[in-house]
Amino acid sequence: MKIIMKYILTNVKERKTRTAVMLLSILLSTTLLFVSFSIGASYESAQRKMARGMAGSATVSVEAADGAIDKNAIPELKSIKFCVGVLEGLALYHENGYYETMDLIAAHLTELNQTNPPRLADGGEISDLSGNQVILPDRFTSKYGIEKGDTIILQIGGEPITLEVAGVAAYDTVFLRHTRGATALLPISTLRELLGQTGGYSKILMEPADAVSTSELKNELSAALPGGEYQVSEVVNEAQITADARQKSMPFFLISFFSLTMSVFIIYSSYKVITLDRLPVIGTFRSIGATQSNVTRILLLESALYGCLGGVLGIPVGTVVLKLILRGMGQSLSQGIEIPVVISPFSILFSFSVALIVSLLSAWIPVRRASRLPVKEVVLGTVEEKQVPRPVIVGIGLVLFAASVILPKLASGNMLYIAGGFSLLGLIAATILIVPLLTNLLSAGMERLYGGIFGNEGRLAARNMRDNKNIIQNITLLFISISAVIAITVVGNFVTTYVSDVFNGAELEGFADGYMEPEFVEQVKEMDGMEKVLPVYVFENQMQGNGLTFTRLEATDNVEWYSSMLALHYTKSGMKEQTVSAFSEERAVLLSESCMEQMGVSVGDMITLTNGTGQSEYRVAGSFKSRATDVEAVIPSRYAEIDFGASVYDFLAYTAADPDAVMVQIRDLFGETSNWSRTVEEFNTDALSTVGAFLQPMHSMTYFILLLATVGIINNLLINYIQKRRTIAMYKSVGLSNKQNRKMTLIEGFSSGLIGAAIAIFVSYMEVQTIFLVAGPKISTVPELDAGVFLSAGAMGIVVTLIGSVVPIFKSRQMKLVEEIKFE
Amino acid sequence: MKTITGAIAVEGKHIVKDFQIGNTTTKVLKDISLQVMQREFVSIMGPSGSGKSTLLYILGGLDAPTSGQIMLNGTDISRFDDEKMSRIRRQKIGFVFQFYNLIPNLNVEENIMLPLLLDGKKMGSYKKQLDEILELVGLSERRKHTPRELSGGQQQRVAIARALIGKPEILFADEPTGNLDSKTGAEIMSLLREINQSSGQTIIMVTHSPEAVKSTSRVITVQDGVIQKCV
Repeated sequence: MKIIMKYILTNVKERKTRTAVMLLSILLSTTLLFVSFSIGASYESAQRKMARGMAGSATVSVEAADGAIDKNAIPELKSIKFCVGVLEGLALYHENGYYETMDLIAAHLTELNQTNPPRLADGGEISDLSGNQVILPDRFTSKYGIEKGDTIILQIGGEPITLEVAGVAAYDTVFLRHTRGATALLPISTLRELLGQTGGYSKILMEPADAVSTSELKNELSAALPGGEYQVSEVVNEAQITADARQKSMPFFLISFFSLTMSVFIIYSSYKVITLDRLPVIGTFRSIGATQSNVTRILLLESALYGCLGGVLGIPVGTVVLKLILRGMGQSLSQGIEIPVVISPFSILFSFSVALIVSLLSAWIPVRRASRLPVKEVVLGTVEEKQVPRPVIVGIGLVLFAASVILPKLASGNMLYIAGGFSLLGLIAATILIVPLLTNLLSAGMERLYGGIFGNEGRLAARNMRDNKNIIQNITLLFISISAVIAITVVGNFVTTYVSDVFNGAELEGFADGYMEPEFVEQVKEMDGMEKVLPVYVFENQMQGNGLTFTRLEATDNVEWYSSMLALHYTKSGMKEQTVSAFSEERAVLLSESCMEQMGVSVGDMITLTNGTGQSEYRVAGSFKSRATDVEAVIPSRYAEIDFGASVYDFLAYTAADPDAVMVQIRDLFGETSNWSRTVEEFNTDALSTVGAFLQPMHSMTYFILLLATVGIINNLLINYIQKRRTIAMYKSVGLSNKQNRKMTLIEGFSSGLIGAAIAIFVSYMEVQTIFLVAGPKISTVPELDAGVFLSAGAMGIVVTLIGSVVPIFKSRQMKLVEEIKFE
Repeated sequence: MKTITGAIAVEGKHIVKDFQIGNTTTKVLKDISLQVMQREFVSIMGPSGSGKSTLLYILGGLDAPTSGQIMLNGTDISRFDDEKMSRIRRQKIGFVFQFYNLIPNLNVEENIMLPLLLDGKKMGSYKKQLDEILELVGLSERRKHTPRELSGGQQQRVAIARALIGKPEILFADEPTGNLDSKTGAEIMSLLREINQSSGQTIIMVTHSPEAVKSTSRVITVQDGVIQKCV
């Protein structure tokens, strides 16, 4: 054992460059995997936090059917960890034509600190709050230039109330919200007085005891509380939160997937060369009596050493990187949501195990193959690699490729995720199998082309690429790397857009939400530079259809404009035209896809709409999904007027030559009337200030994967050089000059970069299609692919390959010709 | 010593070659001087480590001497830069190695044409020359095959054809039969002899084989870095 360890350590020491590159690839892979998992988990945790908003760790809420609820009403159950009584009220803030709705909340600070402690923007805690004091979130104060110590006037119950700003809080915990407006924290006694309440709370929030689930606590409470008097509900839909968080952290897991694929390939290709290099030693071992398993064990021990070292070093490096990234986020969100650093034992164990297992498995295939070679052939150096017939390989590749493209299109439900995972792996695996054929075909074309452009050196460079395993390996790694960078960038950009720009693809440039008489709308239409005005009737929680209450039903007189203004994506092509025609002819209703599914109706079915005053039959004309609106049903305006007595508009969307100028006029027209009017640009700026910095780590991670790709490519080019050294010497022996060698190497590098980039662009396009096909049912927009991302990543790949060619050029200049060619 | 007549093809003057291994300097060639005339077929013999191959590589411009001069047709090539030396290898010298040194992914034709291609010549313009040389080495039928599809003897024939395609002034061969069985070795020697006799090609060959030596006109024996005898 001692001798074997000595042999292994000598190998590691003697091959310094290769050892360094191998270790670096494993270390980077482990780091990347660890960081992407931890960031994914941190991000998911932050997403959960945002979704839970003011509830914090409480998951069950109890409200009284009428009025306030007393804490004494809650039975003392072991299933309750703790509970907090929350008093809620509403207010309106008005400043320079802007109206902001405000939720007022109050709770005993000691209770609140247990479930959801508020945090001041300067990092401090809220210890005391009394009298007419209020704490406002930074997101609100910075918007209106309010500072600590200022006084603000809020309209509460129609009365102007002056409050002193006792502190500015971070946009976190109780101040987090997923609806527009802001949340203000008041002393409980003050809010009680303002709301005219003598005691009790609006609701009691509860956190289940350890090992008790939310539903268990909910059931227990429902059973314990008198029926009809109290309403017990879950604060948030956990399944929905998990689904949303997973969707938004998808790019990080995608990064993990690609980094893993790249690591496997880098380590596998390195080991193929190492075992080839060690064949004489393997022969010696076998000739003196070492068994196959002895040889396998010796070589695997070396790979285990790389795996352990890379894994052990990768985790602390990953932790530093993770903290740097999250600190960067923290700085840009200094007054925003606190992002929890989630380093789970699972991610540590998983990353280390992957480093070790990937090292061992990647090495195992070539090592096993080498140790099984006949002793005589190994000793005599007459080993020839067994070739699987190319048609078989290409055939398997094509079938796998077709399956990877088709399966996600056929699958649905949970099978869609499995098909998606298969497709992502399958596309890469299939392409790896097809790359040799593609390289040969493309290099044959290049041979003709280069002959004319670069002369015989160009022709020979292209010719050298045919059936050249090193070049094929380079192209393979390059395509995996570039497609990873492209897929991550595209998905990352999409998530940024998806999260921060709900109006992406929507035509509207501004909107007004408020009480609008038809004359008001006429005046808006007359404004200078106005292009399109779309007034809408809104029925919020008023209208029922087949027994289901629509949270929002809207009525429009122009469903075509409505569709483009709010970027409605119809379920089927041609449905828009059908809907436009149906809206002009009859009582038609357009339903959101989720609503349609919930109601169990199809296009053409009749549903009965009722709002208590009127009732009519409407034919379902179509279905849609949209990011820009959460409307569940749309009907024609004229029937909303006839059937349900609509006469005042509640929402208005517009496009104009100068949306800002129009917005000023609209605000002016509203005067003192409460309204919420914004240009889309204003709305997006607001949204980006919250999520923009939050998405920053995704871009940082893209650089990391690029670094791993570069290390992999340089590793490959070095391996390539080690294997190609003798061929270069052969060329030199028949008259190849250094200048010609430089020219040929650069042409070869450029060409393999070009082929790799072209394949990567195609594969990543297919992968992006798969990713969005899998995510499709959850998202309501179609991603716009930016050709610039694809082309610049491709160009970057070519540049990396060209830079990587510099080392072989320099190394071959100093080559000792006789040493290289004298012996086989 | 055998009397040599005619013009000098290559001449080595006071060739010294030192190798540095760690802190130890080993003198492999110790002030060797020799002349090889045009149309000669010379063999260099000697025990392993005597310096015969090093001498061949220095004469053929693949290695540089520590001191001394190599005169190729009266020109000192021992201090040529890479560009000039590469041109000499393409145009004036042909080399045949023990392990053939064929480019594995190029076919027979392409391997043979390599020196001309590197010299900027068009493949199509040398079709007749290529056909003739393929005929000479007996590989006309295997012109599209890659080296791995050929036997050792056939690969060595391709190497000889590659060395001759540029009509070099001197053909250097380093143990051309060393990796072949005796029958194939004899065939290769017969081919080299034929080339020397029919076209007057100057050949300098390193060999261990007494059989191979029989085909040559002069034998230079090297031992311990000096020429021991020349017969």
